[in-house]
Amino acid sequence: MAIPIESSPPPGWEREGIDGLLGLFPPGRLSEIVGPRSSGASSLLLALIARITTSRSGEGGGQVAFVDGMDALDPTSSAAAGADLSALLWVRCGGRLRVALSAADLLARCPGFALVVLDLDDLGPVPASAAIRLQRAVEGSDTILIVRSERHREGSPASLVLATRRLGPQWMGLRQLTRLAGLRSEVSISRSRLHALSPLGRGQEEESWTLDWTLNQ
Amino acid sequence: MTRIACLLLTNAPELPGALLQVALAHSPRVEEADAGCVYLDASGLQGLFGDEPHLAERLRDAAAAAGLAIRVGVAASRTGALAAARLGSGVTVVEPGGDAAALATAPLSLLALSEDLATRLARWGLCTLGELAALPTAGLFERAGAEGVRVQRLARGEDPRPLASWRPAPAFEESVECEWGLETLEPVVERLGELAARVCGRLGARGLAADGFEWVCRLAAGRAHEGALTPAVPLTEPAAVTGLLRLALEARPPRGIVLGLTLRVRPVRMAPAQESLTDPSRPSPRFLAATMNRLVALVGADRIGAPALLDSHRPDAVGLGTYAPPSPLGGEGRERDEVMRGGVVRGGVMRGGVVRGDANPILALRRLRPPAPAAVTLASGRPVAVRSSRLAGRIVAGVGPWRSSGDWWTAHPWLQDEWDVELADGTLCRLAHDGSAWHLAGIYD
Repeated sequence: MAIPIESSPPPGWEREGIDGLLGLFPPGRLSEIVGPRSSGASSLLLALIARITTSRSGEGGGQVAFVDGMDALDPTSSAAAGADLSALLWVRCGGRLRVALSAADLLARCPGFALVVLDLDDLGPVPASAAIRLQRAVEGSDTILIVRSERHREGSPASLVLATRRLGPQWMGLRQLTRLAGLRSEVSISRSRLHALSPLGRGQEEESWTLDWTLNQ
Repeated sequence: MTRIACLLLTNAPELPGALLQVALAHSPRVEEADAGCVYLDASGLQGLFGDEPHLAERLRDAAAAAGLAIRVGVAASRTGALAAARLGSGVTVVEPGGDAAALATAPLSLLALSEDLATRLARWGLCTLGELAALPTAGLFERAGAEGVRVQRLARGEDPRPLASWRPAPAFEESVECEWGLETLEPVVERLGELAARVCGRLGARGLAADGFEWVCRLAAGRAHEGALTPAVPLTEPAAVTGLLRLALEARPPRGIVLGLTLRVRPVRMAPAQESLTDPSRPSPRFLAATMNRLVALVGADRIGAPALLDSHRPDAVGLGTYAPPSPLGGEGRERDEVMRGGVVRGGVMRGGVVRGDANPILALRRLRPPAPAAVTLASGRPVAVRSSRLAGRIVAGVGPWRSSGDWWTAHPWLQDEWDVELADGTLCRLAHDGSAWHLAGIYD
């Protein structure tokens, strides 16, 4: 069975593990990553940014716009995750929700970005009207639009909603803790409006992923 | 019959532009030679300026009026005119057919000889152009090749190459007078848009693009409102230019009734390029320029750019550099773009330049900017509880302190102890103590 274009990962991506997960985000649609603090949602975003900005060898990967609602992006973590910082447009909104929504709307309408991220964190879920506007802005383009927030709002037009859940931190040290090694979290598909979601090619029954995020010291 | 005049500056050789303007005022065909030397076609000018001595004196007087002291030579060839100007006194006219005789005593250095040929002629004992002109052409060709024959023809006053005409750079400027005066911003932008369309049309006809815009609004009461902007990328689309002008004028509108408008652009040549079919798509320069300007108006110029790591171990040592997606022009074009856009990281030096590597499942830290003050309860020197505006709770596990310090050799040293802690609700966060107070530096996510 042919894999629909809208859900097939770019050439060169692995179809298993985190690559399969990152390949789920459909271009031209609004997606959401929701999860509480320390659930791995931001780490998932960084992994996606790293994959997109370095997805092609030679001339470089795609361009990413990051609308940072709370000025929370840590470029050191981004670089450690492998992201090409020169391909990342960072828009710092200083905790202003309306500014962040307007910036995301502008960037979603600018053709050429492979990924536009609206990171709201605890600024709250996107108002329904703004979410519909964002969905319309990105429709028909090749841009992946992702909103990251703590909670999912009912009535959102998001085509894909991934929920992250904290499974627990990983510490180093036997009798006494010596170092924080990372975090184990689970990512599950909370909602999908795509017809054939999984590009895994080995069945579409997998709906959750357990991921180990390593702390870069 | 070709007649050429040579204008040779004897002072201020750094002002060739003024000399070119003097020459262009007398002849339509002007060639810029070395610094301080200009040739002009003096053929057929008798009807306008009289005979050649009169023309030469007129040229000298016009240059003097422009503050330039020159010597003028007129001959049938460039070499003859140059020799007449350089060796003569003031104004020298070589009669038709007399170039060879006039050049006979001129030194070889009058010609721009290659080092190899100059060495060869010096070894032969030649010092003057007359001696070079007297050599047998066939023998000279055997020994010095075509270059030897070419310079011998110059030495004989034969100059087959026509003048390479110089033209002043076109001024891309448009103006409009507003008879009734414009009181609101919208008609001003509309008129500027019309000017932009005309200028962009002229630019496009020459394969140029606009790299900078300057406008002057002539206001009532004799005042003027001036402004300028530099787009992120050179533009030729009137709609994009009008959009930028609108944003700039909205940010700083003219204070008064506008009676006239002038728009000037700075042209740059754009090499045509085609995007690769295999490269990932990039934002169109036109759309990106417009979007960036709107974003700057929305969040401020200091809050948008490409993140850059600064060359410091200070926590959260990051800056914002210029966001410049790769140009389809390749390496050379990309360097040009970097120069054009500045390519400088604001606030420090970028560490490592482009950071690129394999994607790793790295645990992300969400920074709190500025770090949130926190009240931390200690037990045996270890934090056991934290309370801040963002979170509060009992600490169930933690490691630290990770100590770092720096800039102790400056007036602003810093010191920080960091703890990675897990709260009872499962939140992983980073606490920091700067020697005087606790802060919540970030939350792992």
